[in-house]
Amino acid sequence: MSVNEIVDELRGSRPRAGDALRLQVLTLASAPQPASPSLRDRLRDRRRLVLALPAAAALAVVAAVAVGVTRPSPAPVASEAIASKATAERSAAPPGAATFAGPAQDAAGAATSKAPAPTTGRAQRYSATLTLGVEDTDALSTATQQALAIAKDLGGYVVSVQYATGDTGAASLTLRVPSGQAATAVTRLSGLGTILAQNVQIDDLQESLDTLDRQVVRLRAQIATLTAAIDRAETAADRARLLERRAQAQAQLQALRANRAATAEVARNATIQLELRTEESSTAPAPGSRLERALDKALAVLAWEAVVVLAILVAAAPLALVAAAVWLTRRTRRRREEERLLAAS
Amino acid sequence: MTLEQPLATRPPRSLAEAAEAHLDDVFGYLLYLTRDRESAEDLTSSTFEKALRLWDRFDPRRGSARTWLLGIARTTALDWFRAEARRRRREEAAALDERVEDVFVEGLSPELEAALTSLSAGEREVLALRIVLELDGDATARVLGISPTAVSTRLSRALKRLEERVNEG
Repeated sequence: MSVNEIVDELRGSRPRAGDALRLQVLTLASAPQPASPSLRDRLRDRRRLVLALPAAAALAVVAAVAVGVTRPSPAPVASEAIASKATAERSAAPPGAATFAGPAQDAAGAATSKAPAPTTGRAQRYSATLTLGVEDTDALSTATQQALAIAKDLGGYVVSVQYATGDTGAASLTLRVPSGQAATAVTRLSGLGTILAQNVQIDDLQESLDTLDRQVVRLRAQIATLTAAIDRAETAADRARLLERRAQAQAQLQALRANRAATAEVARNATIQLELRTEESSTAPAPGSRLERALDKALAVLAWEAVVVLAILVAAAPLALVAAAVWLTRRTRRRREEERLLAAS
Repeated sequence: MTLEQPLATRPPRSLAEAAEAHLDDVFGYLLYLTRDRESAEDLTSSTFEKALRLWDRFDPRRGSARTWLLGIARTTALDWFRAEARRRRREEAAALDERVEDVFVEGLSPELEAALTSLSAGEREVLALRIVLELDGDATARVLGISPTAVSTRLSRALKRLEERVNEG
């Protein structure tokens, strides 16, 4: 018998299931399918994993974009001109003086600046320069009026106001407020717009006042001594010379008192220089658009997500290799066992 | 009026449809494997029970319903062979041999029947799939979990042995 004859005979005698088996299987196959597999079984399904991977990637991108759009972006960088100005002001400060300078705080201008306060109980000269950006000329007008109101509200007054508008606008205000209210004033004023630059300088005047007080005491004692000597003068010439010296001492005392009063006045009130500018006139370069900042933020979040995923992969790689080796070994052993089983049967 | 597409060219809509079309294939394959009609019938029932549970996982893009059912049948048969081997070892008796029928495929000549019986289950299954059920090389490879080349080699050896045994007898 040839191979072809064998093949023909095998094909011609193809087995057929009996009627009983056919009825049994068809009844079984027509039955409703058992309850759906559990969630665990579903997760085991590789087809769903294939869908899960791009879904996870899409979720990561959506999360990054959402974070980029919703979270406040960092402040735009202040212009080089303003930064240079702040640096110059710091370098110009006399020794022993404290200077606090800072760039813009927040792009939206919603945040206020917490300014340093003068030391209580010591005479100090408090000077602050604040540069704010406002949206347009209407906002400039409103901010100017509010600045005047803040100064008045805190017991201060306006030294000068310069206000100019056109296509763009700018206002320059010099305000004086009681030193005790200086920090509050700076904080409240900084809320009137976007902070572009801020400089606070505090100079200690207490030592100067103490020196002036000591000089006053010494001059008074000198005047008292001269007055006593005038009364005891024996000659007209001596008396005239002592009278002249006492007049000089009295003039010096008067000058010292005036000097002390002026110094005390400086310490009593803080000077705040407020510059308001519309955004168009600001020398600060236009910060990136909201979309650009949101994209930057989203990219940063994506980068972090990539780092986290990479870290997980690095940590999981050895385990995955071991698992793959175990799986391959088991599969090979199972196939060999099946081969033996089929060869022996 | 819509024309019904023949089942041979489209995937079955239900397991009942697949069972109706491929029951004989599954049964024939299992009969060649086990050489025992009763066992083949039991295993056929078990195969379709499993298929019913797994039906929602059947993906026609990954293979035909016939290949899918034969794969399940093979797994079921292997479990049966393992159980039989354990039972034989436990009872120290060739239980399988006792159950082998003289005529397990009706219509074959006695020489061919005897020759088939002398082959191993591995040889009989490749003959069943490639010759009797006329599966192509790729489909047979998917059922057996080996390469198409290995299928071809295995078939060639099985046919050669079968020819030798037939002509010996």
